[in-house]
Amino acid sequence: MRLSHLLLGLFLLPALLAAQPYDLLLKGGHVLDPRNGINAPMDVAISGNKIARVAENIAPTEAKQTVDVSGLYVTPGLVDMHVHVYTGTGNKDSYTGDRSIYPDGFTFRSGVTTVVDAGSSGWTNFPDFKDKVIDISKTRVLALLNIVGKGMAGREKIEQDMSDMDPKATAKRAKEYPDTVVGIKSAHFAGPEWASVDNAVQAGKLADLPVMIDFGTFQEARPFQELVLDHLRPGDIYTHGYKVQVPYIGEDGKLLPYLAQARNRGIKFDVGHGGGSFSWKNAVPAIRQGFWPDSISTDLHIGSMNAGMKDMTNVMSKILSQGVPLYDVIKMSTWNPAQQIKRTELGHLSEGAVADVAVLRLDHGRFGLVDAQKARVVATKLIVCEMTLRDGAVAWDLNGRTATDYRQAYGLM
Amino acid sequence: MKTICLVISLLLAATVLSAEAPYELLLKGGHVLDPKNNLNAVMDVAINDGKIARVAPDIDPIEARQVVDVSGFYVTPGLVDIHVHVYAGTGMRGAYSGDNSVYPDGHTFRGGVTTVVDVGSSGWRNFEDFKDRVIDRQRTRVLAMLNIVGHGMGGGAIEQNNDDMDAKATAAMAKKHPDTIVGVKTAHYRAPDWIAVDRAVEAGTMANIPVMVDFGSFTDERPFEELVTKRLRPGDMYTHMYLGSVPMLDANGKLRPYLQEARKRGVKFDVGHGGGSFLWKQAIPAIQQGWIPDSISTDLHITSMNAGMKDMTNVMSKILSQGVSMYDVVEMSTWHPAQQIKRPEFGHLSVGAVADVAVLGIDRGDFGFLDVRRGLFKGNQKIVAEMTLQGGRIAWDLNARAGQDWMISNREQQSARGRARRGAGAGRGATGATIPRRP
Repeated sequence: MRLSHLLLGLFLLPALLAAQPYDLLLKGGHVLDPRNGINAPMDVAISGNKIARVAENIAPTEAKQTVDVSGLYVTPGLVDMHVHVYTGTGNKDSYTGDRSIYPDGFTFRSGVTTVVDAGSSGWTNFPDFKDKVIDISKTRVLALLNIVGKGMAGREKIEQDMSDMDPKATAKRAKEYPDTVVGIKSAHFAGPEWASVDNAVQAGKLADLPVMIDFGTFQEARPFQELVLDHLRPGDIYTHGYKVQVPYIGEDGKLLPYLAQARNRGIKFDVGHGGGSFSWKNAVPAIRQGFWPDSISTDLHIGSMNAGMKDMTNVMSKILSQGVPLYDVIKMSTWNPAQQIKRTELGHLSEGAVADVAVLRLDHGRFGLVDAQKARVVATKLIVCEMTLRDGAVAWDLNGRTATDYRQAYGLM
Repeated sequence: MKTICLVISLLLAATVLSAEAPYELLLKGGHVLDPKNNLNAVMDVAINDGKIARVAPDIDPIEARQVVDVSGFYVTPGLVDIHVHVYAGTGMRGAYSGDNSVYPDGHTFRGGVTTVVDVGSSGWRNFEDFKDRVIDRQRTRVLAMLNIVGHGMGGGAIEQNNDDMDAKATAAMAKKHPDTIVGVKTAHYRAPDWIAVDRAVEAGTMANIPVMVDFGSFTDERPFEELVTKRLRPGDMYTHMYLGSVPMLDANGKLRPYLQEARKRGVKFDVGHGGGSFLWKQAIPAIQQGWIPDSISTDLHITSMNAGMKDMTNVMSKILSQGVSMYDVVEMSTWHPAQQIKRPEFGHLSVGAVADVAVLGIDRGDFGFLDVRRGLFKGNQKIVAEMTLQGGRIAWDLNARAGQDWMISNREQQSARGRARRGAGAGRGATGATIPRRP
């Protein structure tokens, strides 16, 4: 009798193990996965660090741990393609130092699993950035190299030095680190020359990478229209999309036609909110007339983190407040930016993809959302991050959904 | 109703225009909790020149250049978090004098905190480097306790080195920076002897500042009871009070009497939540039996920030969830810690005090609070920082209460030139709308 039990047990053992092929099951959520066209209630199963299955009804018996996420949205981990995180160098007042921040305290609590540092470092100091920040962060940190070799080491002088804008050296460095460097950045350039833009594009061509532009000083000698219609290539990105200096509305109150032309050419428009680059004065009429962002990003740094920007979900809530559907807001924060930086393995929940997942809640109430000029829009919906998984591991759990009641956890009941 | 709105708008417009108003900012209609001054009532708070100018039941909006409606919220002193690790940016891996620390500004203001105390990330040898890299460059007021280890929390063997525990040198550095150094810390010590604790107390005695103890390894040779009933002086602090290793309950589940004895002696007990130092198993029965904290603190660092700790208001919410009153929770987060570090100029809203202010809301709903071993307590209230002022400056404004409707703002920008010609003030808008950020 005992022997037969044992034998039975031995036979059942593999079956039992096979019965729980998943480590974690997110059950009952509403999946928004624009890459795969999913906008429906679905369960998401994770094995190890990969998405194992997305389906309508996965049995909890198949998972070692099941987390109830009903009433919540399950989306790919958010991809914030404009941040500044090259800190810890001791450089004062620069984005290669004190104006940057370490990413991990800002990303996971807001659903973000991948960030792109947009040009804080250039080809000369990228290895230092990688060593000091990229390699020690739990957040996936990718980077755009500044066309200025020394990166954003000082807006007044260093970033204006045209002799330090070397497309060849920049492209070479990018090719050395194909896993991490995803593009070239030009920023803060006062002009009036096109040197920084054109050298960035040149480096982008050499390395076969997109370019992201912060246009620096807007001036008549270097019209913005020309940037997006002539100088940039299809696939290149203009960040600070709703900055107050961008010409948006004509005398007739209508969206200026060059914007749609630029978009038709393949130029991407990114939010890049930051401390001074998001104005309701532009965003409200533009979005209402259909000029939505291609991608939503924060431009996280010490000047934006405590001001109107706050965090990724706050910036997403701003776009949502103007009538863009949540599905599209998620697309602008996951699959769109992943494509823009040519990292198509990210930003979706396909089976086999890395299990970077955000679980988001939509709060209803009255929420004040402020721009760079302290102008406020009162929104009725706010996106809040409930949980974040990075590589299948719980990186943020606002309300302890993955935990056990303490009385059970300590055998007190 | 429309007429009332119009009248209110006109009144507010008048407020904006009265350049001679004596106050820069008026927080109107909030419930003031100021334990130092025994205030627990609906009151207005007026601020001028970076200082608290007046706290009174009904201050006329006409007296302020900017009025912010905070009705439905608590107005408290800026929170004082006396246990954080913010000595970041040195490049040291795996150490609190490096990569395990975080820069404070991204974690403080959004949690209502205006003052933090870095406890022992640096010692006398590297404090000045810490001051240069972090303290002098952050907007948060950063105070510090020196580690009794000269190299601070350099990690591993560095923190166990008795030869680097120099009471004299530690006291000398503390006296050199009396504005910043508020105590001496010992932490992470593993040996069965009392050297780390005793040297820290010796340094504290020499510099006339308190000591905070993280007891490191709890061993039989070095009983915790002896630490708090004998070794520490009145005014010294034990942090990590709800750590699993602290002997809390006897076999009958009753609070051990030595704890109250220690408190009677004047030893202070601080939360110091951290990544491993807060267990519901300890906190719940302790608080039920009256063993409440003297001070609430986060032990902010890279591990605690994304785990059960999260931020100051979350830790406060945990204490609130156990039935401690909001008034007491605020006292444990303001006036108590300010007294413990002997900085009685902070942690209250007395007239003339620096205008460090937190505007806190209590959200109601279903919230889960995690401890450090993934034990969950479900509560129904959560404290949220709505606004934070530091030195009268708005450092955090969750719902843009001090902002202005974008359409008004837009019109004002367009007519700014004309207004400047007329010589009127640019007029930061006063907000009349109540915008609760509530689920």
